[in-house]
Amino acid sequence: MSFMENLLMALNSLKAHKMRSILTMLGIIIGVGAVIIVVAIGQGGEAMLKTQITGPGNTVELFYQPSDEEIRSNPNIFLVAPFKQEDIRAIEQIQEIKSIVASSTQMSTVSYKQETADASSTGINQAYLKLNEMEVEKGRSFSTSDFLGGRRVGLVSHVIQEELFKGDNPVGEVIKVANQPIEIIGVLEKPTGLLSFGSMEVYLPFQTWRTIYGSSDFTQVTLQAESSEQLQIAGKKAAKLLNNMHNTEDSYQVLNMEEIAAGIGQITRIMTIIIGSIAGISLFVGGIGVMNIMLVSVTERTREIGIRMALGATRGQVLTQFLIESMTLTLIGGILGIFLGWGTASIVSFFAGWPSLISWQVVLGGVVFSMVIGVVFGLLPANKASKLDPIEALRYE
Amino acid sequence: MIHLESITKTYLLGKESVNVLNNISLRIEQGEFVAIMGPSGSGKSTLMNMIGCLDKPTTGTYNLSGENVSHYSENELARVRNQSIGFVFQQFHLLPRLSALKNVELPMIYAGVSKSERQSRAEEALIKVGLADRMDHLPNALSGGQKQRVAIARAIVNKPKIILADEPTGALDSKTSVAIMEQFRELNQEEGVTIIVVTHESEVAEYAKRTIFVRDGMIQAPSSSSKGAFE
Ligand SMILES: Nc1ncnc2c1ncn2[C@@H]1O[C@H](COP(=O)(O)OP(=O)(O)O)[C@@H](O)[C@H]1O
Ligand SMILES: [Mg+2]
Repeated sequence: MSFMENLLMALNSLKAHKMRSILTMLGIIIGVGAVIIVVAIGQGGEAMLKTQITGPGNTVELFYQPSDEEIRSNPNIFLVAPFKQEDIRAIEQIQEIKSIVASSTQMSTVSYKQETADASSTGINQAYLKLNEMEVEKGRSFSTSDFLGGRRVGLVSHVIQEELFKGDNPVGEVIKVANQPIEIIGVLEKPTGLLSFGSMEVYLPFQTWRTIYGSSDFTQVTLQAESSEQLQIAGKKAAKLLNNMHNTEDSYQVLNMEEIAAGIGQITRIMTIIIGSIAGISLFVGGIGVMNIMLVSVTERTREIGIRMALGATRGQVLTQFLIESMTLTLIGGILGIFLGWGTASIVSFFAGWPSLISWQVVLGGVVFSMVIGVVFGLLPANKASKLDPIEALRYE
Repeated sequence: MIHLESITKTYLLGKESVNVLNNISLRIEQGEFVAIMGPSGSGKSTLMNMIGCLDKPTTGTYNLSGENVSHYSENELARVRNQSIGFVFQQFHLLPRLSALKNVELPMIYAGVSKSERQSRAEEALIKVGLADRMDHLPNALSGGQKQRVAIARAIVNKPKIILADEPTGALDSKTSVAIMEQFRELNQEEGVTIIVVTHESEVAEYAKRTIFVRDGMIQAPSSSSKGAFE
């Protein structure tokens, strides 16, 4: 007797009690659905957090964290840009570094005609926009000669266009940044991503910025390397070099991505274990429900079993029939659960703004797992069915 | 063909053992039409189950077509039931959710017959019992006589050598009973199927060429060819 034969038979008898079958499946649907949701959202969230921290381009920021002693000796230390020109030149010698992006930011008054606002004004070098994945939406980006010649041109954020220009196209207009005229050559695209809100920003070639603010020091330095391992090495070397040059203990630091990645992994693992065990319990309870209904079904169909045995069904064939029936029940539940989980994960990730990852491994796992539940919890009822005495079973009312 | 020798069947009820069949020896040849009669509780059904390989004797041997089946495994007995025996019951015992055609296909499923052959053979069997126009009906939509015809079609579809009918007319009116018994007679005469019928009714027993009387688990008188000699 073929598997297909058994499957059709199983579908037939599940159809005979539609409501009961669906209610029985519910535990499996919810259990499998929960597993899918956890895995999809968990993996998506982990992937997103990791790319947000290391960035897609393998970059890391150097930062300056003065010691208590330094703060005591110079209370204004936070107002000083911590990276000097010679720091950058020294770091450039580190072999593992692919490129360095150094920039300086100051809050300034920006005005256009009668409108005035506060904005951050950042002097950047040529690699900055590409490294930070900033794209120009209107107008053009900086050219090499803008950087070399220190031209009085600038890019503005989308928010500036909205606030200062009431949404009109600002390209070609001249604004004043810290009382110096700057021609706007382009508008940057709105930032996307979970935690980025637009803000008032002006970007200038570093040469230009330097003449406006009279400082050639940098407030931010970002390193880029070919791989995350090289980046780690480069970051450590750079921090050590800077601490040597400035005669500081441990004030120049670099974010340790390995630690962060491990921390995130830890959090998602704990989450997965917690929600996974909830899902596991619900699957177990669902499995008990299946077993219960199958036991009821075996009792109800005692006469059918007797008839089948009289007609030549072996005990093995009766066992198989009921096993496949409970497996079909949980398999359908599992497939519905996969759709439920997939749908819910898609909705959640749509609103949370991060990708939901449903891999074929997870889907296959869900299918196989629900079938295994059907077999495991179907074993007792199927065994009971196959052990019936045909004569007694035929006499059963 | 059927050869029972000193068969006993003992049930344990608590500490007491009840001999339902008591040293029964019986021989039925290929192509016979036999009636089994006897009071209620005398062990007729138990004897039928024994012949039909649904039950195993406590002691004694059972030879079927020259093979000692007394020590067959359960799987072997299932195969014998499937291939060599057709059952017809008083309560019809059709599966209520399957159409007449699907009910008749059942024994062939366990015989491993292909789907297309199953359907054509089931149709053939239903035509033979006069139900060509009822094939897709569910048992509930059939009369008692029609249900029993479906059961007969199911019993003959694997072309068994023996048909065992335990009170096949017990739930039918007398006119329908006659039609069902005619069906058995036709199968016996035209195809040489061995037919054994348990009955209370002498009208039914009259169709048989031989009647066996059972009382208290024993065959009462040596078998004779006399008809309707009961009571
Ligand atoms: N499983 C069983 N356990 C105990 N006694 C049984 C069992 N099956 C049948 N009997 C007894 O065996 C006797 C014969 O039963 P049965 O063969 O059904 O009789 P009949 O068909 O002639 O009416 C009855 O007394 C019945 O109670
Ligand atoms: Mg009886």
